[in-house]
Order: sequence, then C-alpha cells, then structure tokens
Amino acid sequence: MLQVRNGAGETLGVLFDRYQAPLLNFYCKLTGDRGLSEDLVQEVFLRILRHRQTYRAGTPFRAWIYQIARNARIDHFRKTRPQVPFEPEMAPAVNPADPAQQQQESELLHRAMMQLPEEKRELLILCRFQELRYDEVARLVGCGVATVKVRIHRALHELREAFHQLQAAPSDSLQRGSPQNFPPRRLGHEV
Amino acid sequence: MKCEQIAELLPDYLQEALRPEQSKIIEQHLAACADCTEVVALWKKLATLPDEQPSPAARERFDAVLHAWQSGRAENLSTEKRPSLGNIFDWLRSPVGAVAWSLALLALGAFVGLQLGATKSSSQDLAAMHSELAAMRQLVALSMLQQESASQRLEGVSWTRREDRLDPQVLSALKHTLRYDPSVDVRLAALDALSRHAAQQPQVRNSVFDALQEQQSPLVQVALIDQLVEWRDPQAAQHLEKLRQSPNLNPTVRQRADWAISKLN
Repeated sequence: MLQVRNGAGETLGVLFDRYQAPLLNFYCKLTGDRGLSEDLVQEVFLRILRHRQTYRAGTPFRAWIYQIARNARIDHFRKTRPQVPFEPEMAPAVNPADPAQQQQESELLHRAMMQLPEEKRELLILCRFQELRYDEVARLVGCGVATVKVRIHRALHELREAFHQLQAAPSDSLQRGSPQNFPPRRLGHEV
Repeated sequence: MKCEQIAELLPDYLQEALRPEQSKIIEQHLAACADCTEVVALWKKLATLPDEQPSPAARERFDAVLHAWQSGRAENLSTEKRPSLGNIFDWLRSPVGAVAWSLALLALGAFVGLQLGATKSSSQDLAAMHSELAAMRQLVALSMLQQESASQRLEGVSWTRREDRLDPQVLSALKHTLRYDPSVDVRLAALDALSRHAAQQPQVRNSVFDALQEQQSPLVQVALIDQLVEWRDPQAAQHLEKLRQSPNLNPTVRQRADWAISKLN
C-alpha cells in the first residue's frame, strides 16, 4: 500500500486481485445484491486511489480497506434511499426437491442472515467471513471489544431464532422461484 | 458453569482465541448444554454459505479506471512544475489567476461596501452582488474546463456544482466535457455535475442521451445508464434499446442496459 500511496498505481492491481473477492462477498452477504456489490467494490478501489495519501505507514491495510468499504456503502445509501426492509419474497428460492439437505440448510441460513438487522449482519460477516479479529472490528465500528463480543453473541442468538422460524415455516413458502436464483442477484436496493 | 458465564467466553472460543484451559471449560459446558452447542454449530454452519466469485469484467473495469488515473497522473507530472515565486506570478497573470483575483477583489469590495454603507444597503444591491459573484464563478469554471491538466478540468467541473442554475455557456461546456473529454474521471464528474441540474434544465437529459450513444468507455456508459434509470425518463428505454443494438458493445454494458430496460418498462 505504501507503494500505491507513493504513486505506483500498478501495485494497486495486486491489491485489487487480493481483496476484490473478500470485498465482493462482504457486500453480497450484506446487501444480497450482486450488481450493487460489484459497483461498491470498484468504488472502494477508486477511493483508495483518491485518498491514498491518507494511508499511514504501519496501519493494518486490511482494517483500512474495510473502513473505506463501510464508508462507501454508507455513502451509497445516503445518496440513493434508505434500505428497503427485508421481505420474505426477496429471499432466495429453495428447491425442496433438491436432495442435498445441506444446500437447503445453507439457503435457509442465508435467509435468516438477511432477516437480521443490518448492524448485526455486518458484525457477523466481518467476524466470521472476513476473519477480522474482535479488536479490529471494534475499531472499525467505533465501539469497545467487549461490546463487539456481546453483539456477536446476541446476533448469533437472533440468527438461531430466525433460522428456527424458517425451518418451521410451511413448505409452500419455500417453493417460490427456482434454485438458480441462489445466491440472490438483487434483494433490496432497486433504483 | 452457567450459560451466562460461558457467554463471556464463547465469542473468543468461536474465533479460537482462548487459552487451552479456557477452551476446555467451554467444551465441558457444550457437552451438557444443547442451547450453546446449537449456537456454536450455527457459527460453523455459516461457513457453508456459498462464496461469490468476481467476474472477469470486474478486473477489466478496474483496469480502465487505473489506466485513466495513470494517464491523468502522467499528464500532471509533465505539465505541472514545482511551485516557485515565478510560477505564482505566471499563474496570477493567467486567465484563471486573473479571474480568481477578480473574484477575491469583488468579495473584498462587497465586504467593505457592506461595512461602510450598511445603512444604505438594500436587498437589490445584494442581489446584484450575488449575481456578479455567480457570473465570476461561472467564468472560473469555464476557464478551468479549458485547461490541459485533467486535475484542473476536474476542479473546473467542481466549480459548476456551486451554482443553482447553470449559465448556457457553462452548460454547453459541461456537455462538451461529458462527450469529448479524454479523461474518464473528468467525464464522470461532468455527468455528476450535469445530473444535479436535470430537474431545472431539461436539456441536460438530451445531452446524456447523446453521450450514451457516443461513449466508448464502459465505466462511463454504465454511469450514464444508471443515471437514466434514476431519472426514469419516458424516452430512456428507446435510447437504451438503440445502445443495445451497437455491434461492439461491451458485454457488461449490454447486461446493464438490459437490466435498465427491464427497470424502465
């Protein structure tokens, strides 16, 4: 990153290759919208170019890039409109005929994740999928480490409740759409 | 140990950040508590959520941005010299410098005038002053849009954002920038600036329709398409359809155009 800061744009290509997939998954799991997620990933790297001078040597790059990623998303929704609350019909389809129970569980879990409030979903994604440590997440979201742990604990309990409710839901509510809709392309941010 | 006590350690256990003896305490609790075991299982199950793979088009799009940035940077390095006293005087003699000086003097004059003639000042005088200031700002914007350096042209575009309503000359310069500026960044900035005035100056939309058919940069094309969707203009669909017919259209742009048409219909 220091090379990028000092003007070596080619090095940013290396960072793009390394971080585009984690960032894409961060946004996809958070928003459920692949197209928007791709746009936001591009926005993150554009911001790195624009604000590279603000990067300080010694700062963990991973934490810095996620800070930019969070800000890019917040700015996006500020510019467009508030996020549409999750509706069951936005959920990815489950194919009950699919013999792979694991796949069905995974799809239910995705739906349960999308039912969580965004702050809790984001916290789970950062800690579980982006493999950030609690202290890194605490600095990112601007709270104490203990608070992050409490919120993770609560988020998991809430996720479990949502997951149970979906498992207990009548099967006809799980039959909408087709399996190839998963993962969802667009869930809540129609322009 | 009770669930409440375990709850303090459980998040660290999930991230494998506990000492071995602490982990053992958790595991003993888990062996006897279905509730906590389920939470741990759910955490592990999260790993089964599928990962999205980036598309090759994402890298192409990024390369286009990087290329535009590098071109702009090379241009800046070749045209911009280190500031020296001589350069400052050169700049003050340049059209941009002259306009900036005039603007500063006008502001100073306005301030002094208001201080000295406070009793005589009227709303008409103030309105005239505002109008003159706006004209000067638009002149600065026009001058900067003509500069060779991309960063200066970007600054010129940002000057136009300070106006509530664009002067026809500035509007025309912005339209020209959107269509023909060699820098992608400057074209994108021009689109952003124009879009702010679309509600009051409907002719802005026509310039976006025209630019849509002429642009070659996928990045700008996608931005234009998104803008049309945001406006929900009744004519947008036919322009997008025309774009779709272009034989050498970038697949990502075609996909975005398809999406936009479906949104507008």
